[in-house]
Amino acid sequence: MLDRITLERRQDAGLGREAATFAGGLGLGLGLAALVLVASGVPAAALVQELVVQVFLTPGGLAQTVTIATPLVLAGLASALAMRVRFWNIGIEGQLWLGAIGASGIALNDIGPEPLRLALMLAAAAVLGAAWIGVPLVFRLRLGVSEIVLTLLLSNVAFLLLQHLVFGVWHDPANNFPVSAPFDAAERLARLGLGNVNAGLFVALAAAGLAAVLVGRTRLGFAAAATGQNPVAARAAGLPVTAAIAAMVLLSGAAAGLAGGLIVAGTEYRLTQYVGLNATFSGIVVAFVARFHPLGVVVAAAALAGLYNAGATLKVFYGLSDAVVVLIQGIVLTSLLVAQFFGAYRIAVSARRLAA
Amino acid sequence: MTAFLTSWLASVPTFAVPLLLASVGLILSERAGILSLGAEGYMAVGAMTAAIAALSGLGLGVAAVAAVAAGAALALVFGIAVVVFRADQILAGLAAVALGVGFTGVVGRSYLHKPFAGLAPLDLGRLADIPLVGPLLFRQDLLAYVAIALTVAAWGFLWRSRAGLAWRAVGEDPATADVAGVDVQAVQLAAVLVSGGFGGLAGAYLALAGSEVWVDGMVAGRGWIALALVIFARWDPARALLGALVFGGVEALLPRLMAIGVAVPVYLMSMLPYLLTIVVLVAAGAARVRRLAEPAALARPYIRQDRR
Repeated sequence: MLDRITLERRQDAGLGREAATFAGGLGLGLGLAALVLVASGVPAAALVQELVVQVFLTPGGLAQTVTIATPLVLAGLASALAMRVRFWNIGIEGQLWLGAIGASGIALNDIGPEPLRLALMLAAAAVLGAAWIGVPLVFRLRLGVSEIVLTLLLSNVAFLLLQHLVFGVWHDPANNFPVSAPFDAAERLARLGLGNVNAGLFVALAAAGLAAVLVGRTRLGFAAAATGQNPVAARAAGLPVTAAIAAMVLLSGAAAGLAGGLIVAGTEYRLTQYVGLNATFSGIVVAFVARFHPLGVVVAAAALAGLYNAGATLKVFYGLSDAVVVLIQGIVLTSLLVAQFFGAYRIAVSARRLAA
Repeated sequence: MTAFLTSWLASVPTFAVPLLLASVGLILSERAGILSLGAEGYMAVGAMTAAIAALSGLGLGVAAVAAVAAGAALALVFGIAVVVFRADQILAGLAAVALGVGFTGVVGRSYLHKPFAGLAPLDLGRLADIPLVGPLLFRQDLLAYVAIALTVAAWGFLWRSRAGLAWRAVGEDPATADVAGVDVQAVQLAAVLVSGGFGGLAGAYLALAGSEVWVDGMVAGRGWIALALVIFARWDPARALLGALVFGGVEALLPRLMAIGVAVPVYLMSMLPYLLTIVVLVAAGAARVRRLAEPAALARPYIRQDRR
């Protein structure tokens, strides 16, 4: 079809080209997203106001953005950590729900002394999140079963488990909606005096900091990076490939579980069906935009949280569907993926058709 | 008991046909080496387009064709990204789902919850009175029979035609296919478009024969189950028919049990199709059959200039 065009893989795109393709892809994606918004009836003049000023520069808007960003940071970390060893965690939502269930289980059954209750809740969230991804991890390592479909299907199972609980044994009889009873005061993360922003923010930032140290400064991080680049070479070099995969993937699940714990203990104060946040796709988008770097995840999560926040406003004032945020994420991810092509390959056009 | 079995069997196609269409489309795409995670998105745009066409009074035939076109259009975006621009197929597939689900959410907003008259079962006379399997086999709508015909056609194409051989060769070893004169990019782009069309038709079935209304999120994860069915079927349309019947049968059981007043833990029972899929995938992994059937070049972008 394209005989006159040949592609050569670049050994190394170089920092300048890398940055240019990334900026180009992001710019194209955001431009297309703006067109979609204008076509859906948002006046072009209002875009900056709604998408930047309202959600980042007003106290109320910023508070809501930071609140949304808190679990998104952990979802992004969940994707970024697993990607370090080329493990596709497409079940972040499932691990998040298990985390929310774990934290709620501790809170609703009053397990442990009150001063330790919150710590226990978050620990249970992380452990259950890790356990939930442990299933596809074991099957992948022992039997070579692809984790892509398994993590995905387990997400659906986790959501049904959550529904089973909030419609069943954990249902709050005082409430018509499928929600659990509210948590006690000792089971709620402290508010920081700015809207719903709570101590969970520190947990998320600490997790990002620890993850950055882990991937950049430790033996495990080095082994994980080598495994992600080329598992055969890493194994031949004597690196603990299996252990690196297991550790990074379990940490990925723990981060996602912790996100669920922070949502129920920090903002919802009960188990509900609405803690999902479309976390799988959002986490992958955040990690991809951050180039899988833990500190970049914080920035990307904040940006995406601003978009979610703005989406809620657009819904009220311009009658747009919530789905517009999903659509914008799809557009931005697609254009970033396409833009990568220009960094990864050198395109040569030959003057005449090559003889077959 | 016979009445229960008959009504259960008769309702199986409602659940099985969308899974069948979507997974046969995915098999065609994966046989050409392109891993398409986008089925959930193709089905969403297909269902919405069919619903809008039906609500606009264009007729159900036009609605089905429009759904196929809509699925293929979304697949074209994915295809350009992965075939022309060699984007990562997993990430691009997830992006395609977001595009499809997001687009239908935004555009379908003004068509939500508006019922329309969908497909009626064909009248095949006395055949439908055969005990047990009569309604299952002979009282279905036209699209269900079209789905069977398309499955047979896909099987025949892959295993009994020259073009199908070239198609499979691209999925197994694109470099060799290229040397033999097969246009790898054209085949892969065609495969992606076809899988989008199948996904769109699966969505049309959900809207026209199932719900007869457009609701946000009505695809409800069926695209992901279809993806698992591909592995269950070991990339063979004939086995996809068997798999779709098994999965559709399990899904159809729950509403039937509730209808006759059996107290079932609804949410735990709803896990069955997913758990069944997981068991099948793990068993296939344990038996090491997966690697024998999976197209060797699946999800690997092909660059002619690469040394291999």
